[in-house]
Amino acid sequence: MIELKGVKKSFGKHEVLKDVSIKVEEGEVVVILGASGSGKTTFLRCINFLEKADEGTMQFGDKTIDFKTAKKNEILHVRRHSAFVFQNYGLFANKTALQNVMEGLTQVQKKSKAEAEKIAKETLDWVGLSDRYDYYPSQLSGGQQQRVGIARAIALKPEVILFDEPTSALDPELVGEVLDLIKKVAQMGITMLVVTHEMSFAQDVADKVIFMDAGVVVEEGKPDEIFVNPKEERTRQFLSRIISLEPMYNI
Amino acid sequence: MVFKISAFLESFLSAIKYAHVTIELTAISFVISLFLGLIIATIRHFKVKVLSQIFAAFITIYMGLPMMVAIVLYNLIFMTCYPDIALKLHINIPISEINPIFIGYFALIMGYTCILSESIRGAYRGVANVQFEAGYSIGMTKLQTLRRIILPQMVPILLPGMQNSLIGLLKASNLVSAISIIEIMNGALLPSVRYYSYLEGYVAAALVYWIIGATIEILAHYLEGRVGNYNKKSEYKTGRTEESIDRIKRSEEKLWQA
Repeated sequence: MIELKGVKKSFGKHEVLKDVSIKVEEGEVVVILGASGSGKTTFLRCINFLEKADEGTMQFGDKTIDFKTAKKNEILHVRRHSAFVFQNYGLFANKTALQNVMEGLTQVQKKSKAEAEKIAKETLDWVGLSDRYDYYPSQLSGGQQQRVGIARAIALKPEVILFDEPTSALDPELVGEVLDLIKKVAQMGITMLVVTHEMSFAQDVADKVIFMDAGVVVEEGKPDEIFVNPKEERTRQFLSRIISLEPMYNI
Repeated sequence: MVFKISAFLESFLSAIKYAHVTIELTAISFVISLFLGLIIATIRHFKVKVLSQIFAAFITIYMGLPMMVAIVLYNLIFMTCYPDIALKLHINIPISEINPIFIGYFALIMGYTCILSESIRGAYRGVANVQFEAGYSIGMTKLQTLRRIILPQMVPILLPGMQNSLIGLLKASNLVSAISIIEIMNGALLPSVRYYSYLEGYVAAALVYWIIGATIEILAHYLEGRVGNYNKKSEYKTGRTEESIDRIKRSEEKLWQA
């Protein structure tokens, strides 16, 4: 479904991605783990062209796109068949929850206003915000904003949803509601690529876990393999550090 | 010294009669400057190659030019060059019959395009980058994102500065009196020349400017109250929802039991 090969990206002299290749099958939930600065967010942003990769190719559905020479219509094609959930929600500040979800339906998919409104309301109901249609993002809690963000993504019926640390800007007590919702999305069978620090979530939901460090994929495999029997020393170090921190979150 | 009410009234009426010149000069220059300023600011914000550097250099140079100097300078250039150009293009209108107001328009638009483009550039920076990215991520084009997401969010940021600039432009339009265009001030002084009632004339001009200025202020404050309400947290007071507070309570109970 999506296959990326040899993705490279530098910010000035700092090489963030050094030849990253991954493959995501249709309906698969892939979780990317890694310490801060390992390049996982940059990699995810490159897929949606929010960051321009310097080199590499992407097979998206039946299209093959070279990052170096990506044309406007190729970029639009990828963006129109994928959705992105931002770390800091990225809701349109000047639009209500309902308008946020409707925007892509009316402007990009050219649906009629009535039809878009119907879909948007159904989606907001589905994420548990049926009483928040007319609230502006500034009037919603972080967890509610992120649920609107997820509603905006799934309302467009994308082939793949990219989650960029969807819970790391949230207060600890709000993380649960968003993770539960992402699990619900995963159960719908949408292809997902999730960058996160939530280990137990990764263990529960992922079909495949990819561990990145210093701009390369160190290890990938089924969650059980990665969490129980990591082959690489770097993965082991990372996991032991995170898991020793984990109980602090559970208080 | 006596303040002659009759002379003042005559000056006031005369100023009102020519007020349309000032208002047109201000309004039209403002709208055109705003439009050009938006284009320049957009080019500079997106760092369009070559053009953005040219505009940056031009604005740096032009911003230092006082409006009065610009108006008189353009007028002099026009008067020096007109005979040659008229001869070449076979125009038979004598220079005395050409209304120099277009020089006023040109100078005001040039000056205020620079000023407004800087304000608009500031407003671009005031909109979070993720707002662009969110637009792109759902598949909107750059133009769609600008029109539907970014520009509406720039309006509340821009309003106070725009009100400032509009009043500045109103006052700057007074400088075209230097090239003998009859606007509010010259209009108010027309009777003064006859009766030597300059104090009355200037007071009348000041009063008319003040009325227009106050109207702009009131309108702008009214607009400020109407625009950008989405940033007010009127309905929502804390970052916590009832359910999340519930959850905190539940986890606290668990902790106590343990």
